[in-house]
Order: sequence, then structure tokens, then C-alpha cells
Amino acid sequence: MAYLYGVTAQKPTAVTACATGNFTSENDLNLIVAKNSQIDLYLVSPEGLRPLKEVNIYGQIAVMKHFRPADSNKDLIFILTARYNAMILEFKMIRDEINIITKAHGNVADQVGKPSESGIIAVIDPKARVIGMSLYVGVFTIIPLDKDTSELKATSLRMDEHSIYDVEFLHGCANPTIIVIHKDTDGRHVKTHEINLRDKEFTKIAWKQDNVETEATMLIPVPTPLGGAIVVGRESIVYHDGIVYTAVAPSIFKQSTINCYARVDSKGLRYLLGNMYGQLFMLLLITEENPKGVLTVKELEVELLGEISTPECITYLDNGVLFIGSRHGDSQLVKLTKIKNENGSYVIPMETFTNLGPILDLCVVDLDRQGQGQIITCSGSYKEGSLRIIRIGIGIQEHACIDLPGIKGMWSLKVGIDDTPFENTLVLAFVGHTRILTLTGEEVEETEIQGFLNDQQTFYCGNVEYDQIIQVTPLTARLVKCSTRQLVSEWKPPGDKRIGVVGCNPSQLVCASACDLYYIEIEDGKLVERNHKALEYEVACLDITPLDENKSKSDLVVVGLWTDISAVIITLPDLETMYTEKLGGEIIPRSILMTTFEGINYLLCALGDGSMFYFNLNKTDGSLTDKKKVTLGTQPTILKTFKSFSTTNVFACSDRPTVIYSSNHKLVFSNVNLKEVNHMCSLNAEAYPDSLALATKNSVILGTIDEIQKLHIRTVPLGEGPRRIAYQESSQTFAVSTFRTDIQDKSGLVPARPSASTQTQNITMSANTLPKPGAGTSGSNSEIGQEVETNNLLIIDQNTFEVLHAHQFMQNEYVVSLMSAKLGDDPQTYYVVSTALVYFDEAEPKIGRIIIFHYLDGKLIQIAETKIDGSCHSLVEFNGKVLAGINSFVRLYEWTSEKELRMECNIQNNITALYLKAKGDFILVGDLMRSITLLQHKQMEGVFVEIARDCDPKWMRAVEILDDDTFLGSENCCNLFVCQKDSAATADEERQLLPEVARFHLGDIVNVFRHGSLVMQNVGERTTPTQGCVLYGTVYGAIGIVTQIPQDFYEFLHSLEERLTHTIKSVGKIEHSFWRSYHSGQKTEPCEGFIDGDLIECFLDLSREKMRETVEGLEMSVNGVKQEATVDDVIKIVEDLTRIH
Amino acid sequence: KCPDPKPNKILDLQLNLTARMFKAQAGYNTTRLDRRFVHTQFCPTRTIRPQDYNEIQFTCCDLLPCNNLVLAGTYHGEAKVYNISEGTEEFSSQCHDSFMDSVKCNREGTLALTSCFWRPPLSVLWSIDKKEFVSKLQFAEDFYCEFSNVTQDKILGTKQEAATIYDLHTGQKISTFVPKISNQYTKNKATFCPTDELILSDGVLWDVRAGKEIHKFDKLNQTLSGVFHPNGLEIVSNTEVWDLRTFHLLQTVPVLDQCLIKFSPMNVIYGISLDLDTRVDFDATNSYDSSFKVLDAYDYSSISTIDVKRNIYDISINKYGSHIALVENQGAYESSQETFIRIYAVGMRKNDEQEEEDMDVAETDEN
Repeated sequence: MAYLYGVTAQKPTAVTACATGNFTSENDLNLIVAKNSQIDLYLVSPEGLRPLKEVNIYGQIAVMKHFRPADSNKDLIFILTARYNAMILEFKMIRDEINIITKAHGNVADQVGKPSESGIIAVIDPKARVIGMSLYVGVFTIIPLDKDTSELKATSLRMDEHSIYDVEFLHGCANPTIIVIHKDTDGRHVKTHEINLRDKEFTKIAWKQDNVETEATMLIPVPTPLGGAIVVGRESIVYHDGIVYTAVAPSIFKQSTINCYARVDSKGLRYLLGNMYGQLFMLLLITEENPKGVLTVKELEVELLGEISTPECITYLDNGVLFIGSRHGDSQLVKLTKIKNENGSYVIPMETFTNLGPILDLCVVDLDRQGQGQIITCSGSYKEGSLRIIRIGIGIQEHACIDLPGIKGMWSLKVGIDDTPFENTLVLAFVGHTRILTLTGEEVEETEIQGFLNDQQTFYCGNVEYDQIIQVTPLTARLVKCSTRQLVSEWKPPGDKRIGVVGCNPSQLVCASACDLYYIEIEDGKLVERNHKALEYEVACLDITPLDENKSKSDLVVVGLWTDISAVIITLPDLETMYTEKLGGEIIPRSILMTTFEGINYLLCALGDGSMFYFNLNKTDGSLTDKKKVTLGTQPTILKTFKSFSTTNVFACSDRPTVIYSSNHKLVFSNVNLKEVNHMCSLNAEAYPDSLALATKNSVILGTIDEIQKLHIRTVPLGEGPRRIAYQESSQTFAVSTFRTDIQDKSGLVPARPSASTQTQNITMSANTLPKPGAGTSGSNSEIGQEVETNNLLIIDQNTFEVLHAHQFMQNEYVVSLMSAKLGDDPQTYYVVSTALVYFDEAEPKIGRIIIFHYLDGKLIQIAETKIDGSCHSLVEFNGKVLAGINSFVRLYEWTSEKELRMECNIQNNITALYLKAKGDFILVGDLMRSITLLQHKQMEGVFVEIARDCDPKWMRAVEILDDDTFLGSENCCNLFVCQKDSAATADEERQLLPEVARFHLGDIVNVFRHGSLVMQNVGERTTPTQGCVLYGTVYGAIGIVTQIPQDFYEFLHSLEERLTHTIKSVGKIEHSFWRSYHSGQKTEPCEGFIDGDLIECFLDLSREKMRETVEGLEMSVNGVKQEATVDDVIKIVEDLTRIH
Repeated sequence: KCPDPKPNKILDLQLNLTARMFKAQAGYNTTRLDRRFVHTQFCPTRTIRPQDYNEIQFTCCDLLPCNNLVLAGTYHGEAKVYNISEGTEEFSSQCHDSFMDSVKCNREGTLALTSCFWRPPLSVLWSIDKKEFVSKLQFAEDFYCEFSNVTQDKILGTKQEAATIYDLHTGQKISTFVPKISNQYTKNKATFCPTDELILSDGVLWDVRAGKEIHKFDKLNQTLSGVFHPNGLEIVSNTEVWDLRTFHLLQTVPVLDQCLIKFSPMNVIYGISLDLDTRVDFDATNSYDSSFKVLDAYDYSSISTIDVKRNIYDISINKYGSHIALVENQGAYESSQETFIRIYAVGMRKNDEQEEEDMDVAETDEN
């Protein structure tokens, strides 16, 4: 059996629907955005959108519409899921919280019925009398909206029109009346039907219009007094009111179909239209009064307003502001202006909302070599294409930045202000001098403090007791009175020795000069040397932070020594050595720190190579226990403590800045989303409360720090659609395959817009049949104005993400897959690229190439090429050879000493071998329809052998090997499943099967699986018994994790999951078990073997009371003994689980 | 009428699998085109021959739900069970004294219904237990029988224009349906609708519970009464598709003329053309169709026609729709009739070896 834990690290980001209305109260203007199985509620305010609430739905949202009941001044939401669960939801303020209330719900699925080919459509009568749905062929489903019903009951009305493209309710009709676009053998037509709600039947056809445009796809109902509807086609728009019609075929419409609209005014004279090119149009109905005094539409006008993200839905908020929901790119808030800007556009982008979807491919790379992967995705389609760099960490919100290179130390001070808790001064140390900045409000000014030495580098500076400031330089320690800023006392090491390192707290100072250690106490107006000791070796670093937060005195000083490479615990004031810990190795300790996390004392000691030791520190005898080592960066690390949200944290300044904190008595190491931090100090200034000052190579950043670690996403826009990505360590590059749209012109192909592949310096082309500029092209694509997809291979720098090189392929040649690999004995690392010639009149490609490229010294050189008889959908490096899935074949090529690919062996046991993964000699194949197959490569015989297969057909979308026997798959009905090989089976027949042992409905299609982890591996303690980690990326832009767990842990979580389904009321009253049940066209089976981590993590959001309720009677096993779990036990376990992402 | 927009070549590209895969990744639904693509290729994976092919001729077959067995009926009324991967006979039984016309197992593979045309009992229900056929019920005059669909606890037998529902456990008649005016289809086969609430027999639709005639469909051919589409919405009666709710003619599908049709769980229809009247005779002069048709069960559009170059007597689809079995006859050769059951993998492409094997078969047959 297999037991898995699946959890979403990044919720879906692709927007599928949006609506504007008064949802939270009659005075609030709200925006609601649906993202696959989630809805986000915002408040529209003059400052922008304010997020109010996120709601998870146990289903994929197929339709989301809003409506206002007749007697209400608030809007309600109607949601219909892909599995036909319907619900009406209300947002209600209860005390200060927004609650979501299921007003009514029900399942509207038909036992029999042919799902409509154009998908699920649902519309609501403008007077909110009835909801109408086109779900199945030949029927129209209605739900009458009675006032107090809590059950949504559907009734099917027979409809003669079979192929329905769009449905809407007309305005201003006595009885609810629908209008449809439908198709028959003659073409597409529009037709209206009046509904009798009492008898639940269609009564009459008010009007119809045969033969509208053959590509007409969308209806827009027009409010009264005009009434009627607008029919939108690919090249034309028609307004029809049942009697007369007006048409327009705007020349600005290109080949892209209008796919969404938003009504601007309640009169219905202005509409915004969006198409797949991301063009935004305004449609105007020009009216006139006819002789009878009735308003009629005289003409239609269409104007191009400008460019937006490729829209999926548009909604008009207020004051010329629109929300553009996108599935293929980032969603946007844009403002329309009255006057054209310099680009000829009326559209001003205001805000973007990141969308990772669709994630076509991703790779996990530890760019900083830190044991923590970053995900680089191929995201978005067409012009929205981009790479996204995703890493988990703690975010720094930058509030100010000052350009100041070369900072060697930094401290915040309170100078000359007594009555506030805020600090107002930053002391910055540079080589050979010190500068002081005062902060007045948001202003930063350079200043001087008379008692300070400015022509020396400061080693330490801080407010100390008796309202004094201390500054320690290589020459002296100086005590300055805060009020007068005058020097009151000075201490110098004897014999004009220079101070090497310093440790200080508000009442004590320890200075070291080579081997000599001086202990000085800070008194009112005096620095008094209390003790001195010569140590065996030179002091490299020291610290006297008091372990007790409430004390200003430390009983201990900790010292890191040169030569000996040790950490020594010394008492104060006696300077007696209590404990010596040899660190081993030859790297000198650079920073040492005592700190207390959650009541436990720790000693942290960072070395010059970026690694760090940490110990439990016994305060009374100074002993160090539980030695552990982590790698935080590659450069010398400086440790500083700071407080954030009243807990102690340690900031490790290095080339990979890290925040160290404790959770459940375990240290957690979390990345900070900054490239490098050399020094830092906490800063609590009036304009920058609870902030940090961070010194990078060239600047000081003032900012605040996030409370929790989360995913940070960086976008590298490409302007064209990326499809595959591979990373190559040796050349420090990524290879990305992309496609862009070119348009056939008289002179050849012209890119539709500038994009990554057209803007780079180095462009090469695949030779033979490429069209030459000016020569025109032959064949079917030569028609002027016709669009053509041009494929490219981009080489991208791993640090700057600059496109270094673009290689353009032949017309119709798709780049299908790519990888970076070392082949045979060849020392070089190559990019291996497979291509296919794609023609629409061939069911699958018949010809393709596998090309070996070498990227060296800024040049992309083709080393070898082999022609293949199909399309190679997947490439895997296989023991130094190239493993390829080519149409129905899985084939192995070896790399000869002549630098050629030579076929070694071949097996044909698939329809189309789309996905390959390999481990050792074993190969996992994902087929178009035939689920997964396990192959073995017999090296001696040079053949492939089929080991086992899953006989239950599944239309695969991605595969991954979890371990030698366990295989994960994603299929096209949004399910995940795991098959397991039974090597112990006695019968041959059983051994040849890969039975399904776990299944789960994800509600999203996984396009790619990769082994890897988002959090640091092998750092800190392992908190959960998870085994392996697979990351996935989905169509709707979600990123998730699947990991294996042991059986007893599974059973515990399963029991918790079951309890949570009772505690957490599902929105729309959909059963959790229904949502997660494996569902495909052919079967529905209960979820098995998978724990829904998203539900488990909801435990932490519950009130203590609810937690207790949930946990009651829950058993957990501790060292093999079952015992009742407490709320705290469960919190601890769940918190640990949240830490895997 | 509005002018048609210009065609868009990029949209057409999704007819090519590779372009379609990228479309699917971007979130477009490609299910239907993928299904059509898969059902254009069929690769023979196993051939099951009787030990004595001079004596034994297969007439019908059924793939057992346990995936690795096929049940075959013979010209002499035997039922034989073969292991598909080994190609070996597991067990057999003399079920009838004459030509077995149809064989059908229940979903568990524990029961089988066999039918023949003469010498009663014409139909028998067998339990298959420990590699043995045990006669459970006999239906002396019903020349065709099938199981009910939802729970397989009833049997529907056909005797000319009369249809009878029997209780599977007791064998008792539950009800009989005889049309007031018979359509006299020559090969009437009474059949349950997917929910077992209706039956269709002799071109007449009955309400099972009320025992009433609901509708009599127009008779547009002489032989076939029709079958229910598994979607529960349509009846396919020879070339006609009727709407079960309105009884309107939805469409006409000429390629289904005189076809035995079977539905695959993958939403496709398989049709083999049978000259049913002369089937019993096995005369070499009869022209059997050597190809089967594959149609999209969603809209009855043709997906492919697969020519196997041998006469096809019967077709069976496994429970997943991933494999089909055909009873094939080399036919048209003077001496003996050599029949075999051939298992085809749906969607798979024939490789070179198999093409050769095909040739081998042809050669052996000639010898």
C-alpha cells in the first residue's frame, strides 16, 4: 500500500470568473474573483482593492454569477461546480467578521444526459425569478428562485436546439425569456424561448433569427428600454431586438474571437469586449428615437481602447476602473482614461495580480546551493508567457532604500529623545570612518555626535545604561552622555594595543585584543575595567548577550578562538573558562551568539564558510550539548538578534540571508527574499516602526519583515509562450522552448509583437527550409495575414535571466521536449532538443529531429542531429544515453565517440508514449490513454522489457516515480493516482500488474511533476515522518506537494481529516468525501491512500474550542503506544506539516 | 445571412496530436479529439485458435470481466474459455446442440447466457464455477437472452416478437411483453434500457413496471429492432437514432445499416455488419463484412473503419474499452473454415513484427 500526503503550496491563481456587486453590505462595493476551486472577496475602496476573504469550494467552479433578489439591497452569489453542485451564497458581517452563508444548495446533475459540448452554462433572469442552465444536450435546466427555499431543485425542459453555444435571459420580458445561439446543419441561429414558471415549460418562441455568423459564440442581453440582445461573432457584431437588427463588422477585429464582455452602464449603451489577443474594445450602441418616440438602435460603433492581459472575464468596478481576470496571464486592475495616452491607448494598468497558470513545465534548481530548491516555471500562454521564479522564504517589505556602498557595521540609536520609545539614529561603520544618520519622519540626514570618533571604523555602538551611548573603535571604547553628546569616559587597552573584537550589552563590555580579554563594566559616566585575562589563542568573535531577557547583565561571555577553532564559555566577572567546545575543521568562527528561543538557551556559532553550528547551552555549567551543523550560505556569516512580533529571532547576514527562529522547540531556518545582506540591525523609528535596517553591497534598506514564510514569486516576462525548461549547471543557463505568433506578410513572416526571441542579440535559425526575408514562402502558409506559430529555443542566464541566445526553428517545426544531459564518456554537457513537424492534416507528426546543442562561450552550436519518425514527447537522460518517447515507441539512443546518436533499442507498447521518467534501469511511461507502464532496460541484452502495467485506462497528463515500486500519475479528469508494483506476488499475472493503491481528486490538472523541495532540506530537525517530496504544477497555476508518509501517521491524519469534515462546514454543503472522490467519465471511487493536507491545515485556523471538539477522542501513537492526543499535540503535528511548504 | 469568417489555421492545428498536447496543457479540453485519435488504430495482440481448427469453428465471443479470459461459442454449440495471455483453452462445455449465436457473461464473470437457433433449450443460463459450466436455468424457446443492467438479477428473453422478463434466481416469469401489432423484425432482440425501467422489443418501447406500451417506433428496416444508447437518451435502431423523450428522429446514420452494434465505455460505438439472415449457413459465398466501424457515441460521427481482411462474426469489448475481441473467419477458401478469436488493443499501432505475423497467418491459411 501507499500512503500519501498532498498539500497545496500555492493556491490556484488563474481567474475563471469575476463579478462586481454589493455583497458584504448595501454600501460596500465588492469584487468577487473565482479561481478554480477558490473565491476571493475584495472591497473596492478609493485606495484600491482590499482583500476581505478567501473561500474554498469543494468543487471546481464552472459558473459564478451574481444576482439581487427582488426585495433586497444586497447581491447574492450563485455558484455551479463542474460536478453540478449548485449553491447560493451570501456574505454577511457578523460582529467584525465576514461570514459566508449557504442560502440554498443542491445537486443539479441528471442521471442520464449527454453533457453539452460547449460546457456548463448558467444564467440568471434579470428579475431573479429563475436560474437557467445549459448542462446537457437537448434540455434546458431551470431552478425557480423562490424566496425561502434552501434546496435548489432543478427541472429539465426539453429543447429542440441541440448544439448550444450561449444562453442569456432577455431583459424587459413579462415572463422569463431566454435567447440561445445554436447550431444545426445549416449554420448558427439565435432563438428565444419564453418560460412558464408555474407549469415549468417553454411556452412560445418570441422571435428568432436564422443564419447568424457561423462563428457566433456570445450573446449580450441589453437592458430596457432597448431590450434585445447583441450577438458577437468572430468578425461581426449584430444587435437584434426581435424586429430589426443592426450589424457591424469592425475592421479592427482580427482573427481572435471576442471571449468576454462587461457592461459599463445600467442603460446598456456601452460594453467592453475583450479577445484572446488581449485587445480591449468599447462597443457603443448609438440610439435614436423613431417617429413613435421609441428608442431604437441606429448603429453600432466599436473602438479599440488598448491592450490588457489576455482576458477570461472582465468586470466594471467604478470610476472607469476595470478588473481583468485572466487564465493565461496575470490578472489586472486597469483604469480607462478619457484621452489617449502617447501609445494611443486609453488603458492604464493600475495593479497586477500574479497568475502562474497555466504551468506548462517547471524545474527545481538549487541556484544558491543551499539545499533549498527554487521553482522556475514556464507560465502563461501567448503574449502572457513568462518564467516565474518561486522560492519560499520570509519577505522583507522594502520601505526605503539609501545608496551607501561599503558598510561594515550598523547600529540603531536613540539620541537626545527621552519621551518616545522610538529610535532616531543609525550609526554606519565603514573602513576607516563612521557616519551617522538621523531619521526625522521619513527624512534621513547625515549628522554628527560630538563625542564620537568619526575617523575610525566603529566596531560597536549602542544605547547603554544611565542614558549613555557607547562607541567602540579599534582604538578606544568611548562613553557619551546622551543628553549632551559629550564624551564622558574613555577606555583604551593597555600598551596602545588595538581592539580586535567587541561584545557589549547595556551594562557590560568585553573587548579582545589578540589573546587578551578585557571585561569592563559601564557605570554612570565611567567605564571601569573589572578584569583581564590572556587566553591561549586569539579571539575571533565574542558575545555577551544576556540570556535572561529581563536582565541587562550577562553571567557569561562566549568566545570563538582562532587556531584552536573552538567555542569557549567564560564566566563574568571572573573570566573563568567553564567549557570549551572544539568545532573541528579549519574554518574560523566569525560570529558567535547566545540566544533564548522558547525558553531554551542556544549557542550559535557561524563559521567563515557560511556554515553554522548550534548547541543547547546550559546556563549554570556552561556546557554545550546537541551539537548540530547547518549550511546557511557560502560567505562568512554574521549573526544578529532582532525582535519581530515580540518573539526573538536571529538574522544570519550572508550571501543567503536567513532568519532563524524556533517553533515547537525546534529551530527553523527560513530564507529571506533578498540576494545578500552584509549587516543588519533592528530599527524602531517613528516613520519605520518595528523595522529592520539591512545593509547590502551598495545600499541600506529599511523595511519590515513578514511574520511567516511564504512563497515569493518573481516574474521574467517573455512576451511569448514558454513550453519546456531545462537547467544546465555547467553553463549556468536555462534552456526554454517558446512559441510566438508570426503573421504572414508580403515579405515573409513578421512577428506579431516584440518578444524574448526577437529582442535578443544572438539569433540563429535552423537552416534548410526557413523562409528568407523578402523571398516569401511556398506551401500552405503563404496566405497574407495568416498567423503562424514560430518555435524558438532560448538560452537564458541563470542569474540575470537575460536571454543570451535565441534559436529559431523551421516553419511548422515545434520544439516538443528538451533536457540538459551528459552523454556517454563525453565530458561536455549538452542541451538535447526534440522537434516535430506539425501539420493539421496529420493526426500525429511523422517527422521530427533530436538535436544536440552545446552552449559554450556565448555560442549555441549544433553538435549532432538525428531524424526521427515521429514526435518525441519526452526526453530523459538514461545512464548517459538519450531515452526518448517517440509516438508509440520508447527508444534508447547512445552517444558514440563520433558524437552521433545511435539507436540502441526500441519498444512499441504504447499508443503515444507521452511522459517518461527513469530510475536506475527502470522506466516509467505515461501513455495518452493506456495509463502507466513500467519498463526495464536489460543492459546486457540491450533490450527493453515490459515489467508491469496498469490495465485500467487513464488519459495521462504527468507521471513520476516515487520509489522503486510506487508510481504517481495525473490524468485528464483532474485526478491523481498511485500504482504500486507487487514484486512479492507469486503469480506472473499479478506481477505484471500495477494495481491502483491510492487515488485522489485534485480538482486541477497536473501538467508536471518534479522531485524537489521548497524548504531547506537537511537543515534543522526533521519534524514530520515524510519520505521524498514531489512538487507539481497545474493548469490553473497551483503548485503543490505530494509526499509519502508511514501507515500509522496516515491513519492518525485520516482520523483527524474525518473529524475535520464534521467541524468545518463546507460552503455549499458539498461533502468532502464527494469532492475528493476519484471521478472520471468512466468511474467514481472513494478517495483512498491520500490525505488532503489542505483540510488538515485548516485545523490551525480553528478556535481553541473547535480544536478541542475536533481532537476529542483522537488517538495518536507515541513510541508504538496508543494514547489520546491533546490539542497541543495536534497543533504541533499540523504546524510541522505546514512547514514542508 | 452573415458572411463566414476567414478560417484560422492555428486553430486547425489541434487536429495534430503534438499541437493538441500543448493546447491541453494550457487548459483547453481536448478529450474528444484524443478519443477519436485513439480509436483510429487497432493492433492485434493475441490470436486464439482452437486446437483442432478443422473441427471447431468459433461463432461468437465475450471478453470476461476478469480481463484475461475470453469465452467463445462454437458452431457445434460448445462454450470454450481461453486464457488470453497463454492462448490456451482453460475449460469447455457442450452447451447446445447447434450453432451458438450469442454468449454474454455477467459483470462478475460468474454467470453466462448462451443462445442458439434451434434444438431447445434455445437459451441457457450457466454458472461458471471452478472451471465448470453448470446449467442453472433453461429458456426453451427464447432465442436470445440478456441480463438486466443495474442489478443483474433479471433476464430478458426474446421469442420472436415476445419479450419475457425472468427472475434470475428462481427462473420465474415476471412479465411478458407482446406488442398489439407486431413489427415482425426478423431478428428481434429485446433489450433493457440502462436503468432497466424500459425495454425495447420488436420496435416497441415498454414501461417495465406498468407493463404498458409506451411507443411504437416507425419501422424503417426489416431485421433490427434497436438498442438503447448507454446515455439513456437515445435508441439506435439500425440507421435511425430516436430521441427517447420526444420519440423524434434525431438523425440517420447510414453506416450502421444492418450492423450489430456495441457500445464501449470509452464513448464509442462499434458496428459490424452482419447478414443476419444467412448467418447460420456459413456459406463461403455469403459476403460477410471484413471490417468493423467505429463511431463517436456522442454524435454518431464516424471515427474509423478498420479492415481486418477476414470475415467478422462477432465483437466483444472489455470492461474498460481498451481491448476488443473479434471472431474472425478466413473464409472464402474451398476446404475448411478456419476461425479464430483475435484480441485487439485499442489505439495501438501495428508494428513491423505484427505485420509479418499477419502475413504468416495468411500463409498458413493458404497451406
